[in-house]
Amino acid sequence: MTNNKIYLVARREYVENLRTKAFWIGIISVPIILALSMIVPIWLTEQKDARKYAVIDHSNWLMTEIEEQAFEPDLEKIMVQITNDLYKKENLDRYPEDVLATAEDYKKKLGTDDPEEAEKKIRDNIQALSKQKNESEAKAQQAIEKGEAPEKIDQYVLDQFDAFHKIMFAWWKTLEPEEAKKFGSGLKKSQFEPIEIKEGTTEEDLNAMLDEDKLFAYFVIGEDPIKGSDGCHYISNNLTDNDLSNWFGNIATRIVQKKRIENESIAPHIASKIRERLKFEGKKVGKSGKTEEVKAADTGRQWAPPAFVYLLWIAVFTSAQMLLTNTIEEKSNRIIEVLLSSVSPFQLMTGKIFGIGATGLTIITFWVLSFLGGIKIAPVVSGGIVSPPDFMAQIAGDPFFLASFLFYFLGGFLMYAAILVGFGSVCNSLKEAQNLMQPVFILLIVPLLAMIPITQDPNGTLAKFLSYVPFFTPFVMMNRAAGPPEVWEYVVTTLLIIGFTGFSFWAAAKVFRIGILMTGKPPKIKEIIRWIRAPIGTVPEVTDGK
Amino acid sequence: MEVALALDHVTKRFGQHVAVNDLSLAIPKGSIYGFLGPNGAGKTTTIRMVMSIILPDEGKISVLGQNNPESVKDRLGYLPEEKGLYKKMMAAEILTYFGRLKGISASVAKKKSTDLLERYGLGEWTKKRCEALSKGMGQKVQILGTLMHDPELVILDEPFSGLDPVNVELVRNLILDMKREGRTVIFSTHVMEQAEQLCDFIFLIHKGNKVIDGPLSEVKSRGDHGVLVDYDGDGSVLRSVTGVKRLNDAGKTAEFFLEDGVEPQDILRQLVDKVTIRRFDLREPSLHEIFVRAVGGEVDESPK
Repeated sequence: MTNNKIYLVARREYVENLRTKAFWIGIISVPIILALSMIVPIWLTEQKDARKYAVIDHSNWLMTEIEEQAFEPDLEKIMVQITNDLYKKENLDRYPEDVLATAEDYKKKLGTDDPEEAEKKIRDNIQALSKQKNESEAKAQQAIEKGEAPEKIDQYVLDQFDAFHKIMFAWWKTLEPEEAKKFGSGLKKSQFEPIEIKEGTTEEDLNAMLDEDKLFAYFVIGEDPIKGSDGCHYISNNLTDNDLSNWFGNIATRIVQKKRIENESIAPHIASKIRERLKFEGKKVGKSGKTEEVKAADTGRQWAPPAFVYLLWIAVFTSAQMLLTNTIEEKSNRIIEVLLSSVSPFQLMTGKIFGIGATGLTIITFWVLSFLGGIKIAPVVSGGIVSPPDFMAQIAGDPFFLASFLFYFLGGFLMYAAILVGFGSVCNSLKEAQNLMQPVFILLIVPLLAMIPITQDPNGTLAKFLSYVPFFTPFVMMNRAAGPPEVWEYVVTTLLIIGFTGFSFWAAAKVFRIGILMTGKPPKIKEIIRWIRAPIGTVPEVTDGK
Repeated sequence: MEVALALDHVTKRFGQHVAVNDLSLAIPKGSIYGFLGPNGAGKTTTIRMVMSIILPDEGKISVLGQNNPESVKDRLGYLPEEKGLYKKMMAAEILTYFGRLKGISASVAKKKSTDLLERYGLGEWTKKRCEALSKGMGQKVQILGTLMHDPELVILDEPFSGLDPVNVELVRNLILDMKREGRTVIFSTHVMEQAEQLCDFIFLIHKGNKVIDGPLSEVKSRGDHGVLVDYDGDGSVLRSVTGVKRLNDAGKTAEFFLEDGVEPQDILRQLVDKVTIRRFDLREPSLHEIFVRAVGGEVDESPK
């Protein structure tokens, strides 16, 4: 019977919340904002016209080399794209016939029906190709020195790929930037467009073009770029947009570096060895005490804690607003006394908390689901550009991890809900409530401030200390999950949360019992504490007018 | 006599203020009992204690034979002094909700809510949101809310406040219907005429103390008889009438209480020349007179 009444109150609260505009705005706005924040930047770059640039080349050779290599980085994407299109038999009419024919040949040579595997092979081949280019000379030399035949790995596919690559590149170089946009976003070809200039064009001529907006920028290459940057300039009216100068500068640097290496008579394979970066592969100590590879689930452990801390935070904050407005509306509506003739204050309070909790959870579940759905759909929509890791499996793979999160989430939510509803019950207007809530909201900032230090040092002093302050326990324990804390810490904090949540409910019920029937000025914190300590039924110096 | 509600030496204090002082009452089943008293006398506090919304500091309350008021909550109907509805809920919906909170099943509650609304002329409002209801209609919906679960005892705190005469009439009929259906009805008011028309018993409380308690007829016959006059004309001249102990002048109606030995005839004789008399009646004192006399004329008229 008792539970039934709590359920009835909760259900009414939930149904009524579903009818408010705020609920629907709340539930829809976040996914929309998320989706927009994903789509708009992509859309904006697509909308942007290619930035036109000109080059005055005093060295008389660098520009030609740059032109040769400028759009090579796009090729990987385009090759993946065309192979994918071939598998799906879609959009094939946008490629010229010769490109399509070689792509078809190449696809056959890949010998796989799985687009994902094909994509991987393409990437491997591109790497192999560039490596081969660099090393071919050296290798041949080495082999000859040792009296061996040069090594040939899958040379046939590689040759085929080389042919494909060449034909693709020839087509790609001459493509108009507008056309290039069709093949995806983020392609250099659609972002930057070189403008041919006549022999003897001066900087003054180009300055005039800049002012007329016919050019976005122009480069001046010095007489001897190998020697140094003397005489190299980048001239533009927009110095905040660095994309063009960065891109151009990187290619130029690469070419110049290569020339310098050649000039110093360093063999290319030695140079590439010198330039090779030292990589530190991330590993971790496993349960057996040995080092293990870092798996996807571990990355999940890294990002999941802050995500859950934020979710709990948002849940507490949005529900706080709902709890307050709801309680105050009921008070000012004078409906509270009718309800109290049927249910006890404790049932009413608990029902409200559960009802609003269910509302909050509905919203958050919807957010999480639409987020997860979104990242499933995003790669499809964006044509493979957005491809976040599949972390559903990572989280679901560790039930203990998941269960502890759910527990801390619910415990933390109920604890704060009880505190908030207790405070809310003594107020008559939202303004009063907000004043009284100030300390609670200040408390709530702490877990956010502590988030980064705790993520970095999940078993440090700060983390351990805050784990045992009940107000922060749920946040901090979720935050520390990457540590992870020892089992006894989980046990102690679990008991702490159960205990403190129970205490919050008990105290809130006592305040609620008095508060909801009270009109007039809200009591001071000191007075509220007196109510909590007084036995049920006695109302110490109530400020009620009657 | 079966007792629906009994209070035994009940006291309630709010800090230093004694809201209800050593109150004992016995309310018979099936009666209409009026709780009278000026604002702030302790009516609402008494009612809230009966509903176990607040608990007495001393004394015992027994409702429908139960000493634990919590256990009979579902057999009581209650309309508080401060009334309200959820604005966004439909009339039938809110009645169903109230009914279900009292423990009746969803299907019964649904049927009963539409039945009650139909019966009391609110059928077309069944599916309308409460924010669209006028004050009178809202109040009716709330009174119907107290009846959803066929309560044995109905407590109405100021059921007539803020209603126009048509709605007062309706609510009065509603209360009489409740009595006819065998329910015990307690209602509080500070408008004496309503109590006079409806009550079998009255209970007058002043500053937390019981002043009068008993059957209405008995209470009235105990008081002095007076002369009731309906008149047209300048009421100020009534003060010059001699042989009068007390005068309650309401503008068109005046009540005279005569000094010993003075005959109603003497009063009539004096009045004839001064005002136009429309009615001249010798009768028991009005409840108003009893009320004013009981609280010593010091009615607290300050706003709540």
